[in-house]
Amino acid sequence: MSEPAIGTGPGRALVAVYGVFALAAGARAAVQIATRFDQAPLAYLLSAFASAVYIVLTVALARGSRRPALAACGIELAGVLVVGTLSMLDPEAFPRATVWSGYGSGYVFIPLVLPILGLYWLLSRKQRGGS
Amino acid sequence: MIGPLATGLIVLSLVVVVSGIVTTVRDRPMGTVLLALLGVLEVGLLVQAGFAIAGVIRGEGPGETATVIGYLAGTAVIPPAAAFWGLGERSRWGPAVIVVAGFAVCVMIGRLLQLWQGTA
Repeated sequence: MSEPAIGTGPGRALVAVYGVFALAAGARAAVQIATRFDQAPLAYLLSAFASAVYIVLTVALARGSRRPALAACGIELAGVLVVGTLSMLDPEAFPRATVWSGYGSGYVFIPLVLPILGLYWLLSRKQRGGS
Repeated sequence: MIGPLATGLIVLSLVVVVSGIVTTVRDRPMGTVLLALLGVLEVGLLVQAGFAIAGVIRGEGPGETATVIGYLAGTAVIPPAAAFWGLGERSRWGPAVIVVAGFAVCVMIGRLLQLWQGTA
């Protein structure tokens, strides 16, 4: 691979954060869907979707697959912005919190900052590879 | 029963976070101190898991058994993963991973404690 690795150096820290979020969001969604899916199916499905995105990102970053990582970062940023905005406009539609509601306010806004950091990291590595 | 131990473990995980930050700032890879701290943290977490599972079996748990088990298992997995990473990445970014891990353990024990005491 001629391009610089994205899963080493500072990228390791990013992989670790995504790994923690994959674990946290995945376990939470699994418990919610298994024990009280009927209470808020939309919110819990979104949680599951978010955790799937985090899992893809963790694996893609760790393996150095740039394209899937970029795509997942984009989906993640779109997800947190769309779900965050919707949860502000129509709280009734999200009776139970998801990772992304309130722009990730339940997780000290890390879900909002992460994709921006991730995109910055991926794009900065690409530029350095071209020079 | 679970309260004092969990509080101690939160303090310990914060010690891990701080020494991880110091090591990252000093631009060193993970050393013996960090590795030992992670080891002590892991032993503490396993003891906590033992107490908590015993409590759940005796019916003293908060009712959210699946969530409690999730937090217990999640916290127990993190320090060994962080240590493995610290050994693999021999730069300042190994300790940076350990900072993330320590913070995650801290938050998860906090949530577990809230759950156990019924405030969340």
